[in-house]
Amino acid sequence: MYVILIYDINIEEDNKKGQRILNNSFKICKKYLNHVQKSVFEGEIDKAQLEKLHAELNRYIRKDLDSVIIFKSNNPRWLMKDFWGIKEDKTSNFF
Amino acid sequence: MKRSYYLFSNGELKRRDNSLIIKNTRTSKYIPVEDVNQIYVFGEISFNSKLTNFLFQNNITVHFFNYYGYYSGSFYPRENLLSGDVHLKQAVNHLNFHKRLLIAKEFINSASFNISRNLKYYNRKGITLEFQIKEIDFLRKKINNVNSIEELMGIEGNIRKIYYSTWDFFINQNINFKKREKHPPKNWINSLISFINSLIYTTTLTEIYHTHLDPTISFLHSPSERRYSLSLDISEIFKPIVGDRLIFSLLNKNMITHESFIEEFNHIILKDSAKKIILKEFDERLKQTIKHKKLNKKVSYRRLFRLECYKLEKHVTEDTKYEGFKIWW
Repeated sequence: MYVILIYDINIEEDNKKGQRILNNSFKICKKYLNHVQKSVFEGEIDKAQLEKLHAELNRYIRKDLDSVIIFKSNNPRWLMKDFWGIKEDKTSNFF
Repeated sequence: MKRSYYLFSNGELKRRDNSLIIKNTRTSKYIPVEDVNQIYVFGEISFNSKLTNFLFQNNITVHFFNYYGYYSGSFYPRENLLSGDVHLKQAVNHLNFHKRLLIAKEFINSASFNISRNLKYYNRKGITLEFQIKEIDFLRKKINNVNSIEELMGIEGNIRKIYYSTWDFFINQNINFKKREKHPPKNWINSLISFINSLIYTTTLTEIYHTHLDPTISFLHSPSERRYSLSLDISEIFKPIVGDRLIFSLLNKNMITHESFIEEFNHIILKDSAKKIILKEFDERLKQTIKHKKLNKKVSYRRLFRLECYKLEKHVTEDTKYEGFKIWW
């Protein structure tokens, strides 16, 4: 499936701890998905991998303060993507 | 579905935060490690042992191509799927002359079936190839009666000769394709075939890695040539359906022309831009799915490579008789 993942980590409550959680979340997410914008990730992922990602993230995020949203789509074709401003394909596998 | 990554730019590939990063003077970009199946390296990439260890852990194969675009070798992680049983049985199947010939015949049988299928497609489109198709079918009938690998290779050579002689008829460009030449290819069409065949070969190798089979023990090709010859064997089946069809479409759509090549000393090599076009198309093609008759579900072309390995594994362990992949649509 094709997913877009966005997270919001609260750093106001406890700056030091929040920052650490933010860093960890970033590191975990970029193992599985392409980093598109500051807290936005995107890419093809299968069910098992998504579970793994979920489990890894669960170790850090605080249920009452942080939030992670995942938009799922069975196929990237069902997702019209437009760029306003800089146009850059960050999910490419050609470098 | 994990993807292949293609690195053209120069720079450094590193391990960073348990994932991969590619860095050069201008940019740095993360590669999600869980999304990587294999990496193709075309540019100048440096990397260190820390990274290689990390690639080992994640079972990622890396294929290297030299300056001329020829396949030079692969970084093949330590076999993680080891089975002494399969290994021995694979060797037994190689050593027993009859068993070896049986498998080798099946490779040529399905490869040539797929070749004649390609010709029949163009025949239906109104290009008269009946004579050549008959000729190939005649040769195919002989496959069952051969008594040695050399004889089998001879028949295969003859089939290919007829096959290649027809290309001029259905390719819109003036390709001037007289005969297949390697080491080094002397005209651009040969150079194109060599490049695409090497892609098929590496894809097969990556898929073999994910099974218990030993890539060095082969049946059709002789295994003592310092290469992964089983990969060459299995590639035979997929060259006509994946490789050749890709070549036809690239040429007939004028995506690749004479202009895509440069001559250097006695090499005719692909331009970087042309390589990118080919790889993009190749990547797309492997992702395309077909409805599998037996499994009754959609499978991608890449998956077919893996299924072929599984079938072979089942054959050597004497579970089910190996039947090569024959195109059915």
